[in-house]
Amino acid sequence: MDILVFVCAAAMILCGALGVVTLRHPVHAALSLVLTLFGVAVLFVAQNAHFLAVAQVIVYAGAIVVLFLFVIMLLGVDRVEDLHAEPFKVQRPLAIVSGVALAGLLIAAVVASQHTNVAARGAGLPGVNPVRNDLHDGNIVALSKDLFSGHVLAFELTSVLLVIAVVATVLLARRSRGIDAAPTDGQAT
Amino acid sequence: MSQFLREYLTVFWFAVLALLLAGLLLGISALVRPNKPTAQKLLAYESGVDPIGDGWSQSQVRYYFFALLFVIFDVEAVFIFPWATQLERYGTFGLVEMGIFVFVLLLGLVYAWRKGALRWV
Amino acid sequence: MISALVASDFATPHVDYHALAPEIVLGVGICLLIVLDLFLAESRKWLVSTVAGLILLGAVLPVVTLGVIGSDVRSMFDGRYVIDNFSLVLKALFLLSGYVVVLMSSRDTEERTPYQGEYYTLLLTSIMGMVMMASARDLVSVFVALEFLSIPAYMLAAWRKRDSKSNEAGMKYFLLGVFASAVMLYGMSLLYGVTGSTRLVDIGQAVTGTDHLVGVQVLGIVFVIVGFAFKVSAVPFHTWAPDVYQGAPTPITAFLSVASKAAGFVALSLLVFLAFPAAKSVYEPFLWVLAAVTITVGNLLALKQKNIVRMLAYSSVSQGGFILMPLAVAGTGDARTSLRAVVVYLIIYAATNLGAFAVVMAVSRKTHSGEIASYGGLFNYAPGLAAVMTLFLASLAGIPPFGGWYAKFGAFKAVLEARTGAAYTLAVIAAVNTVVSAAYYITLMREMWMKPAPDGDESPVRVPRNLVAALVITGVATLAFGVLPGFSGYGAITGLAGAFGR
Repeated sequence: MDILVFVCAAAMILCGALGVVTLRHPVHAALSLVLTLFGVAVLFVAQNAHFLAVAQVIVYAGAIVVLFLFVIMLLGVDRVEDLHAEPFKVQRPLAIVSGVALAGLLIAAVVASQHTNVAARGAGLPGVNPVRNDLHDGNIVALSKDLFSGHVLAFELTSVLLVIAVVATVLLARRSRGIDAAPTDGQAT
Repeated sequence: MSQFLREYLTVFWFAVLALLLAGLLLGISALVRPNKPTAQKLLAYESGVDPIGDGWSQSQVRYYFFALLFVIFDVEAVFIFPWATQLERYGTFGLVEMGIFVFVLLLGLVYAWRKGALRWV
Repeated sequence: MISALVASDFATPHVDYHALAPEIVLGVGICLLIVLDLFLAESRKWLVSTVAGLILLGAVLPVVTLGVIGSDVRSMFDGRYVIDNFSLVLKALFLLSGYVVVLMSSRDTEERTPYQGEYYTLLLTSIMGMVMMASARDLVSVFVALEFLSIPAYMLAAWRKRDSKSNEAGMKYFLLGVFASAVMLYGMSLLYGVTGSTRLVDIGQAVTGTDHLVGVQVLGIVFVIVGFAFKVSAVPFHTWAPDVYQGAPTPITAFLSVASKAAGFVALSLLVFLAFPAAKSVYEPFLWVLAAVTITVGNLLALKQKNIVRMLAYSSVSQGGFILMPLAVAGTGDARTSLRAVVVYLIIYAATNLGAFAVVMAVSRKTHSGEIASYGGLFNYAPGLAAVMTLFLASLAGIPPFGGWYAKFGAFKAVLEARTGAAYTLAVIAAVNTVVSAAYYITLMREMWMKPAPDGDESPVRVPRNLVAALVITGVATLAFGVLPGFSGYGAITGLAGAFGR
């Protein structure tokens, strides 16, 4: 049964990812990303990470994809770009070869290490606090503990990072009030 | 099947039911309704007026800004949730840390507000 | 009942406020700048740059007191954030180079930058990420620090909103930077998967490159290194560098080529020395190839450049290869020598390159051109600038007695101490490249000293005060590091940098 859940979720993820790359219409590609993100959320659930699954759906599938859609609409989807013009002819075959090689490497690495009990690794190390899967809310307990003990500084600084995102967006999106309306010479070093 | 997957079985059945219902309704209506398309009928509906331009038109940059603000406060909620469920455990320390976090984010909101990014002109 | 059970195992983490003071000063300073920008009239916006400079100097203060108080290691959050001598030296480097960049971008210099407040806010945020990187000893902290220093930098690169070159710079930097982050994050997740811990020392114990999980370990190590190779613009991940350097405002170019690059090397050193010490058979060959290719390709491309900023960009790519060199032998050679070589190189390179960009800014005020040919006759009408530029160029080329010579000497020493065939080969490649690199530095010197001014205009260059200050700071540092390698305080600094606290 666990296998079935995994296979379904993995199929969702792969189909979604393929759709993002292959679909011609950017809006369809963005919607196809939602499928991938939902698949990841299902995998989180299958790993007992309920909170992460919820966060995944709310933040990624909900907010981030909406953001993507706004960007796509902002750029105007009706404008047709010619995707077939290629400055370097070798790029596409080269990309395919290296992509396939990378995928092969990854699969080989995972297959080679399939017999190792990964869950037991790092058990004796001082910095490892195992997540207690037996607890119903073990996930959220462990997460909040990490947030407030080991990673409290990173957590606090994340807020500054979010503010910077606001500042940068206001800056980019704001119609300039004549300050940079004057044409600057593109020459200045 | 593990205990907890069984709990999610309800979610699964509801998802199946929703898909079935939608498919059934659309499928039946597709079978039953007469289908005689004309150029007039295929126009995009724009409140009864003749549509102007394409359906995929360029949208305002302001939408993007509001979406971004939404993402930011969404992320804030994700951070607040683990703290809120364990409130008494982290005591004053947690309160102070979360206070700083929220305060800095509010600063971002104040910035956007003062710069007039929240106004819809 | 369950929550009562687990409630007891949380202890409020110990926070050493003295050790965190630089970060706190910067954080409060950033908030202050935002508020200041909101409530300051447009005519008084120049205050912002002064305040930004003061905040940076204010953050240096606790770094100095921490250094003076003693060499004990202050460790916080289960060793996830460590203030040791290594981090103190680098924090001081980041803060001071940030200060020089602020000096370079003050209002007299730049052609009236709009959005002063945001400019300095973003600059300070980026510096804060670097300061954090120096102390991070945990994958999560490293990643947050990296995003912290990158995201404002993307915006800063695209600062001239109306200039298509600047937009291109921002876009390229953003897309490649995000791609690199994604690759690195994947590597980090693999490393976390095989160790179960995000602390670098724990990873160092578990990642040995020998057992069943060797395949996943190798991929994790390679992906993480590739991510930072983008940041330090090592070949073949350097393609963004010239375009970004050319398109971004010059102070930002100086900042990216020095501080941002140094932060990448800090992260690489942390990983090599703390997280992968047992896996030298994995990272050493990889870094060896990166170093050799970076030095060579960077130099060959620099030879062909006609634009000075592009020339300096490719030269900085090649210099990055020299900094990679000691890391490529960190396992077989002496780890302390290698780390010291990296830190010393970063310090001297920062002073020299910032100085070179300051001269470029000063000259372009008059010539309004970035072409190397426009430097003709500089000695006739601005002998001071020509002399300082010669100093910086000689330092970059590694000609004694200027700083760059000592930096290169340290790098070669670290490589030769490894005493393996690969190390000797790398040293030979680097030596040949040092000679080649002298060619393009000397071309520029000849332009300045021998050629006449291209348009015959020999009116003197008016160099604003803040730029003079930047030139003095960087010039004195470049000279001092080269002439006085044995000078006591400096010797102590490099000695201090040799060891990591755990």
